[in-house]
Amino acid sequence: MLRTALAGLRAHLMRLLLTSVAIVLGVGFITGTFVLNDTMEAGVAERVTADAGKVDVVVLPKTGVLPEEVLDRVRALPGVTEAQGLVRGGAPVLGKDGKTAGDFPTTAVSVVSGRLDRTNVVTGAGPGEDDRAAVLDENTAKAQGFRVGDTITVLDHEQNPHDFRLVGLIDTGVDQELGFTGAVGFTTDTARRMTGVKGYAEIDVAGADARAVAAAVGGAYTVKTGAELADDLARAAGVENQMITLGLLMFGLVAMFVAALVISNTFTILVAQRTREMALLRCIGATRGQVFGSVLLESAAVGLLASVAGLIAGYGLASLAITVLAALDSPLPTDAQAALTPPTVVAGLAVGLVVTVGSAVLPARSATRVPPVAALRDHAGEPAFRVGLVRCGIAALFLVAGLGTTAAGVFVLEPGQQVSLVVVMAGGVLTFLAVLVLGPVLVRPLSAFVGWVPRRMFGVPGRLAVDNAARNPKRAATTTVALTIGVTLMTLISVVTASTRLSLTVKLDEQFPIDYLLAGQSRDAVVPRSVAEELRGRPELDSVAQIRQVTARVSGERLSVGTFEGPVEPYVVAGSMAGFGPGEAALSELTAKALGVRVGDSVAIETRRAGTASLRVTALLDGNQSTLPPVTVAQGPFDAYFGAVPDARVMVNVRDGVPLERARAMVDAAAAPYPDVRVSSSTEIRGQFDETLDMVLMIITGLLGLAILISLFGIANTLSLSVHERTRESALLRALGLTRSQLRRMLSVEALVLGLIGALVGVVLGVVFGWAAMRAMLDGAVMSVPVARIVLFVALAGVAGVLAAVLPARRAARASIVGSLTPT
Amino acid sequence: MTLTHTQAPPAVAARALTKVYGEGDARVHALRGVDVSFATGAFTAIMGPSGSGKSTLMHCLAGLDTATSGTVHIGDVELTGLGDRRLTQLRRERIGFVFQSFNLLPTLTAEQNIRLPLDIAARQADEALFDRVVDTVGLRDRLRHRPSELSGGQQQRVAVARALIGKPQVIFADEPTGNLDSRSGAEILSFLRTSVRELGQTIVMVTHDPVAASYADRVVFLRDGELVTEVAAPTPETVLDTLVRLEA
Ligand SMILES: Nc1ncnc2c1ncn2[C@@H]1O[C@H](COP(=O)(O)OP(=O)(O)O)[C@@H](O)[C@H]1O
Ligand SMILES: [Mg+2]
Repeated sequence: MLRTALAGLRAHLMRLLLTSVAIVLGVGFITGTFVLNDTMEAGVAERVTADAGKVDVVVLPKTGVLPEEVLDRVRALPGVTEAQGLVRGGAPVLGKDGKTAGDFPTTAVSVVSGRLDRTNVVTGAGPGEDDRAAVLDENTAKAQGFRVGDTITVLDHEQNPHDFRLVGLIDTGVDQELGFTGAVGFTTDTARRMTGVKGYAEIDVAGADARAVAAAVGGAYTVKTGAELADDLARAAGVENQMITLGLLMFGLVAMFVAALVISNTFTILVAQRTREMALLRCIGATRGQVFGSVLLESAAVGLLASVAGLIAGYGLASLAITVLAALDSPLPTDAQAALTPPTVVAGLAVGLVVTVGSAVLPARSATRVPPVAALRDHAGEPAFRVGLVRCGIAALFLVAGLGTTAAGVFVLEPGQQVSLVVVMAGGVLTFLAVLVLGPVLVRPLSAFVGWVPRRMFGVPGRLAVDNAARNPKRAATTTVALTIGVTLMTLISVVTASTRLSLTVKLDEQFPIDYLLAGQSRDAVVPRSVAEELRGRPELDSVAQIRQVTARVSGERLSVGTFEGPVEPYVVAGSMAGFGPGEAALSELTAKALGVRVGDSVAIETRRAGTASLRVTALLDGNQSTLPPVTVAQGPFDAYFGAVPDARVMVNVRDGVPLERARAMVDAAAAPYPDVRVSSSTEIRGQFDETLDMVLMIITGLLGLAILISLFGIANTLSLSVHERTRESALLRALGLTRSQLRRMLSVEALVLGLIGALVGVVLGVVFGWAAMRAMLDGAVMSVPVARIVLFVALAGVAGVLAAVLPARRAARASIVGSLTPT
Repeated sequence: MTLTHTQAPPAVAARALTKVYGEGDARVHALRGVDVSFATGAFTAIMGPSGSGKSTLMHCLAGLDTATSGTVHIGDVELTGLGDRRLTQLRRERIGFVFQSFNLLPTLTAEQNIRLPLDIAARQADEALFDRVVDTVGLRDRLRHRPSELSGGQQQRVAVARALIGKPQVIFADEPTGNLDSRSGAEILSFLRTSVRELGQTIVMVTHDPVAASYADRVVFLRDGELVTEVAAPTPETVLDTLVRLEA
């Protein structure tokens, strides 16, 4: 049977090649992901091992910092050649606009010199002993436009600005905190002065063993060897890599599933076209098992070849990705050489083989059903398709289960919880299965619907094309469902991002019905009260509201406790804030629930200046709408409890008719003396949301593109197989006067119809489940369906379908009429 | 040998037609200089042993295939050197076909199949002619059926109706009864003859069946790619005699 299987392979080489593209792409993506992951991990390992080699022992604090005397004790140990304390603390770098750079205060670190220096200086030099010199991490320097030689201004812990000469740029490596906040490096003395931190975040020791150090510093601190530190760092970085890898693998799985559909369809068609061949084999004595085996063997050969190609493609893809990431100065570690490890090879081959052979099982089984007499029949003809009761029953079952589950996730479970989303997604999968089963039934009406326009627009070729599209409902359904998957996910993501965008905008408008917001980085309370008072006197402004907050223990929980001054809408859902005053508190609903209190109950607040105060809860606030802190007290009592803390936020509204530029200039001027007070407009805040969402949308769309590409190969494949089947039909049409271009157009329209059906079903599913997911994810979500984008998807799917038809159509049009008319 | 028909002008005429397949050792001379013309309003059969070049001749005459040398005229149009677009146009407007098998599109009903050439050419059907043809071939109650629901004879009748409906200058039929039982075959042949008598249709039919050939007004004989003889007003016996003489 081996020879028969291989002969089959050779005879259908072209078609199997097209099929293998699906597997090559899927396997390529998955192995590429693994190669990328391995390379990143190798990169991390290289770095941390190099770092750790410099240090023999490290001392870390369990909480807080290591006091100076610990360093003294370590230095006094016999055998210690060197010991250095590393300082770490906030020190905001100012951007060129004179305001604090980035959303979080830059972290200042001390850069030591000598063998214990672990700073990776990539440009220039370290600060050495120069107290007026500083180094900056590459990303911050790039974002703010600083170069070596520039003067940078950094705020100390009392917000006083200090100038430094930028002498070098550093790579923060695998340190995630530094990667997040950005880093500025000084000499140890300067770092201590700037941050005001009294002690060290870490003490690095050379020339001693861990046991001796541990004995010297006592049990209050953690002592590790350099190797242990390297392991910890690698593990922390590895978690992040693994998240990326897992995310990518999800898309790889979607792609493989689509590939499986494409392969299954191809084998089904090939088996159908080889009915006579199969029957002949049975006539000359092949058993059912042998026929089954020959089809599976063929699929295994295809799967193996394609998987090997996929491995190579994946390796190439990963190398390319690493080169691109490195060129883009991405913070991911990209310095290791890409490598195909044995586990990757095994995984890639296994996935490719299992998916290919698995997809061929059903077609192989139907091959065994071919009776030997079929060899004697002249013409196999179109397989009749009947809407089976069993099929409808199963589909109905899935549909009811799927929609029911989804409804439960949306209407029964609490929105905003992970369970709700998981339940909705499970419902989505079940509903999709219903569509998969029901597909062949849906194809005819859908093609009639989608084909309404082409049928009228393209004359005879259009009419024939629409008929042909739904001619073999099972085939058409599998072909289009492959595309449906990609379009569904794309639509879903579009709906979710658009709705998130709108929900946030609506919330922004409700919460900050404001024109400008003055605040520090990361919610630090830094806006001096005088700023709001000055603004309040301005006739150009309509309203100025202040919010202050501190962290305090409330009935045992650490919570934000705050107050407000000026017009702030509290969004009371229970109780009342009328006559809000001493001895009273308003809680957000969620906080009240967490504390288990209701209106009328009391909460105990540990204050800074007045001991523990017992407050009566007079109102519950809608935490989704209100901008007030979770625990809000009146202004007078707040000052009595916590002192005159600065404002965390000042919200400003411009009077109608005042030009925005003038108002903005005024607000900027009021904030100008305070580098850490940043002014943003609601448009800017919205712009940031938009940028983030656009980025997410772009990445996900790009990754889903693979699944769509594979499904397009599926359309091309199905079409070329159909063209092959209909060779004589095409020749007849040509004899009857159809021109070459009309024949091409006929196939293009057929592909267009297939593409549109797939896209349309995908759009419906995507919108419905995008809505459900949004409802499950976000309480009070506002729905938005990006109609233009979705129309674009549908149009693109149509165009892509037409493109997929180009080659098959050319082949069909080029075939000689006489050659095709003659029966073979 | 040159065979000219007495009546002029002919519907189809070929001069010094040759067709060579393949190259080198595999060269096959399917036609070796055929001169032939087919009179308007006549029913002509082309006969000859298997492999004598009957189908090749028909394909070249109908513009489905291009000859290696020589000329073909359909009416006043010379086919030689016409591009695919013009040839397609010509087939649409002037030529009807009936093939041995696989004549119909399986997705279309009988009526749609009959109207297909007109639809492709975006021409209006002559409804009176449509009714007459449909009634003649007896398909009135089968118009809504698809090919898979029709017998082989009925399918060929649909094909004949389709060829007639466009009022082509000539209908080419390649073994139109080759796959039919003798009764259905006889029906098809009489329809063809009726259409020549009553509608003035010109028909050129390839066949290897002497009985089928006897329905024609004239039979021309091919052997090894050459036109060797012809019989006017044939009967099955005269055709068979000629064939036997040729094969000997
Ligand atoms: N496409 C082709 N390629 C090569 N030889 C061909 C081709 N078509 C026909 N022939 C050869 O040309 C000769 C005439 O064929 P054909 O016209 O089909 O004969 P008939 O219809 O009389 O049986 C035969 O020898 C046949 O083998
Ligand atoms: Mg022949």
